[in-house]
Amino acid sequence: MVKLRARCILVGDASVGKSALSQMFRSDGAHFQKNYSMTAGVELVVKSVQIPETSDSVELFIFDSAGKETFAEACEKLWGQPSVLCLVFDVSSDVSFRSCSLWLERVRAHCQGLQVPGVLVGNKSDLSSRREVETVVAQEWAQSQGLEYHETSAKEMENCEAPFLSLAQAFYALYQDRLQTIQTLA
Amino acid sequence: MIDAALISSGTQVILSASSDENYPPEHVIDGKAETFWISTGMFPQEFILRFADTLKITLVTIHSYNVKNLKMEKSTSSDATEFEGIAEKEFEHTEGHLQANDFSLSGTTATHLRFIITSGYDHFVSVHKVTVEGIR
Ligand SMILES: Nc1nc2c(ncn2[C@@H]2O[C@H](COP(=O)(O)OP(=O)(O)O)[C@@H](O)[C@H]2O)c(=O)[nH]1
Ligand SMILES: [Mg+2]
Repeated sequence: MVKLRARCILVGDASVGKSALSQMFRSDGAHFQKNYSMTAGVELVVKSVQIPETSDSVELFIFDSAGKETFAEACEKLWGQPSVLCLVFDVSSDVSFRSCSLWLERVRAHCQGLQVPGVLVGNKSDLSSRREVETVVAQEWAQSQGLEYHETSAKEMENCEAPFLSLAQAFYALYQDRLQTIQTLA
Repeated sequence: MIDAALISSGTQVILSASSDENYPPEHVIDGKAETFWISTGMFPQEFILRFADTLKITLVTIHSYNVKNLKMEKSTSSDATEFEGIAEKEFEHTEGHLQANDFSLSGTTATHLRFIITSGYDHFVSVHKVTVEGIR
């Protein structure tokens, strides 16, 4: 039995639904906070994800920030050495999608060559009449950046587990890979 | 001089932060570089060695992989409390072979040594062997 631990950083523009998404994941879709409230300070969501067909699990430590601090502060306070990345935009906001490349650039600069598995999440898929970002466009960009793409609606409780499950699986795969390398050294 | 870190010398690992039952921290003190303990994600990571007797330590050698920053602390109490820092080092990155790092300690006394890995060159780091030279 293996129990991995991963520091998951949640980034993206303000109000794309980062907090809603991590709360839905925490509560297994039990509640959605309707009133807008800017996250105060930093919230930590810890949840264990079982890897299918094994007795192994990955405990995700999801750091959600209010987005009020400067970028440098965020790096120091919450990012540390990130294990996995969850990059979120709002499908009804093209601006939030275009910010993603900047977010990714910042995270990569912070990680200094460390391989960090990541997902791109298009949230608010329920707002179909206001959609500004087409699925194929997001998918193509995600692929070009080595990210797995997921669409979610924290409001309709649609697919919210999927991005986190995929992050856990990617981290688990990385562990298996590194273990193999280390076994050949000794 | 003895290698006081060996299980056969009565040393125990009393704490480690990480868990993969196939790679337990005891692998660090079985005297073999082929067996290892691996961290399972996030930093810091630590383990504590408890010696059978109080030792005067002259040299500690660590064989590891992908460790970046390591802090060493000691305790002279019998119950592993009151640790004080005795050394800190940034290891060089190696590829394809283990890191080997020496710490000269000029006969400092200790009942326990605590190793804290505060960062790594990768998500996962391994420690293959710790040898402790000292006098009882
Ligand atoms: N329609 C819709 N609204 C959402 C969804 N997720 C979050 N919201 C709303 O978007 C606003 C911002 O959400 P929040 O989680 O605070 O965003 P954050 O700043 O990225 O953490 C809030 O009013 C949420 O209720 C969603 O999937 N669909
Ligand atoms: Mg928020």
